Amino acid sequence: MSPQLIANIVVLAAIYALVSAGYVLVYRVSHVLNLAHGELMMIGAYILVATAGLFSGNPILALLLAAVSGLVMGLVVYAVLMRWLTGEAVLAAVLVTIALGILLRGLSILIWTTQQFYPAAIFGWRNPPVHILPGVQISVASLAIVALTIIVYAALFLFLQFTAWGVRMRAAGQNPLLAEQRGIRLHAVYALAWGLSTFTASLAGMLLSLDSGVESTMATIGLKAFPAALVGGLDSLFGALVGALIVAAAEIAAIQFVNPLLSDVVPFLVLLLVLAVRPWGLFGSREQLDRV
Amino acid sequence: MRASAYLALVALAAASLLPAGSATAQDSYKIGVTAAMTGPAAATQAPVIEMLRIYVDRLNAKGGINGHQVDLLIEDDQAEPSKAAANATKLVRQEGVILLINSSFSSTYGPVIAEAKRGNVPLWFAGAVCPKETHPPKADPLLFCSTGFDFSVDIPVAVKAIKDMAKEPAKLALVGIPVPISRIGIDGAEKLAASLGMQAVDKEFVPPATADYTPFATKIKGADANWGFAYAPWPAEAKTFEALRRLGWTGQYLAYGHIQAEDELTRIADGGFEIFMANSLFQDDLPVHKQIRDAAAAGKYSFPPTYGTEGWLSGRILEQILTKTGWPASAEKVTASMSSLNLDTQGIRGGPLVWTADNHFRTKQSYRFYRYDPDKKSIVRMRDWLTVDVTD
Repeated sequence: MSPQLIANIVVLAAIYALVSAGYVLVYRVSHVLNLAHGELMMIGAYILVATAGLFSGNPILALLLAAVSGLVMGLVVYAVLMRWLTGEAVLAAVLVTIALGILLRGLSILIWTTQQFYPAAIFGWRNPPVHILPGVQISVASLAIVALTIIVYAALFLFLQFTAWGVRMRAAGQNPLLAEQRGIRLHAVYALAWGLSTFTASLAGMLLSLDSGVESTMATIGLKAFPAALVGGLDSLFGALVGALIVAAAEIAAIQFVNPLLSDVVPFLVLLLVLAVRPWGLFGSREQLDRV
Repeated sequence: MRASAYLALVALAAASLLPAGSATAQDSYKIGVTAAMTGPAAATQAPVIEMLRIYVDRLNAKGGINGHQVDLLIEDDQAEPSKAAANATKLVRQEGVILLINSSFSSTYGPVIAEAKRGNVPLWFAGAVCPKETHPPKADPLLFCSTGFDFSVDIPVAVKAIKDMAKEPAKLALVGIPVPISRIGIDGAEKLAASLGMQAVDKEFVPPATADYTPFATKIKGADANWGFAYAPWPAEAKTFEALRRLGWTGQYLAYGHIQAEDELTRIADGGFEIFMANSLFQDDLPVHKQIRDAAAAGKYSFPPTYGTEGWLSGRILEQILTKTGWPASAEKVTASMSSLNLDTQGIRGGPLVWTADNHFRTKQSYRFYRYDPDKKSIVRMRDWLTVDVTD
């Protein structure tokens, strides 16, 4: 396998991993599968289009504002929608996320139409290639995605392992009843999980839009990252990283060595294979059986 | 009592199946549109229909056609066949439209054509792929198409142009997406290239909404292609080219110029990215382009004015069809009017758009070739109207 192919796998895996982090955060803490995650990622990218338009002369401010908006968006989604479903059946919460996704898709078309936007062009940025090794090139935006994915995962790992709020989040995910009895404010923990989840999704959307623009079908990329989270195990951040790498490698191998038409199908084939052998994913926790 | 209630119900049900037009006297031209206003095809289709609506609004503001308003009923099908079928049923059976317009993915055509034929209503494909049934020598009596692109004519023109432009033997990489029209076009280009002595060294079908186009570009570059040809929706065409350049590929690239092309050529700003298209660009600066720009501003068009050419042309076609139809209008009279269309395209196309009894596509198709010139920092025309006869 050529070094360029390995670089391609790393970039695609970084995209999938960055998107998957949000799926894992929400599921790990609240056991809710957020099926609006792709749409939230897309809205994050559109917010960058808006802030870039407002502050085209100050890209750093525009990027910071968009990133913070991603965090706030998650908190608002929790406060307005998901909070009221705490204690209800998980299925109800999942269905609400489906409805939220449809609503966001409609809203995005109403506000931004179906036109393709390029925030990088608004800033006057080019996206030139970078020679990372002899004969191996990736774009600046792709390099930024890889770097940011490493930073995000390292930060999340440190946050969950070594901070009080991180420990609270893990406790709430393991046993919410006991956690609440010990004084952990579940709503605050869940809200933080949603905030961080949409924050990482927004970062992914922003970087993807800087690389290749944003339009109304970007949400589909969120769906393509879903197998990575499931393959790794929905409650494991490390699993999401490994899952993203496996799915990306399989997809690129299909493009390069088999048939590019298979690239859409392969992630789901990998998913089926892994779930058939290990339904809780490679690094996920085996759940209590509640059906036969 | 029970029998009369039953009869009332039957009468009510029967009445609901009748076209609205037969229940109430129509005082406007009712035109039905099923289009991908949202969903995966919306980036190309919604701008066409929105400009058509703006054109019709302007007509109505001036008193309509033959003294009657044009009622444009737009239904979103999201490029889904089931929704397109429901839209067509509603528009034909309930609204009693005299003309149906489809602007969506070709996968929606089957049910819409079936419904149009059941209702004996003419069906016009505007801004979407032209079905073969609109072509000569024996066009379907009810099906018409005005869309600028059509693979059966586009592909031979493009492949021969590459053959002409290539300074050394062309090693061609072909780029499409996995939908029928793009695949047929790319497969056809592969065969034609071989027959012209060119080597197709790679063929890529890039799925829509791909997260990273680099893997496809890597394969093309690895195949040592010196020319690329893309026949796909604009995002796949442009993003594959940009990924190629980021890998340091130095070849030439030709793609069909969809409605986004003018703004995109300027953004990409690469002299090696060439487009061919049936509609003229705004950089040609014709009076009709000023009209479109003014209409877009006045009608609060949601897209850049350069996206509006195909929709504006559709508006002019509709105006001529209905003017010739007269009043009172019927689907039969509209069909007759469409079968003898001869529209001056005012420079949007390379000549008039002509529909005849047996040709509901066009009698001639013309193309202009453009690229961005980095030295002039603007789009330049590489080849003026190249006209081909459309006979069969």
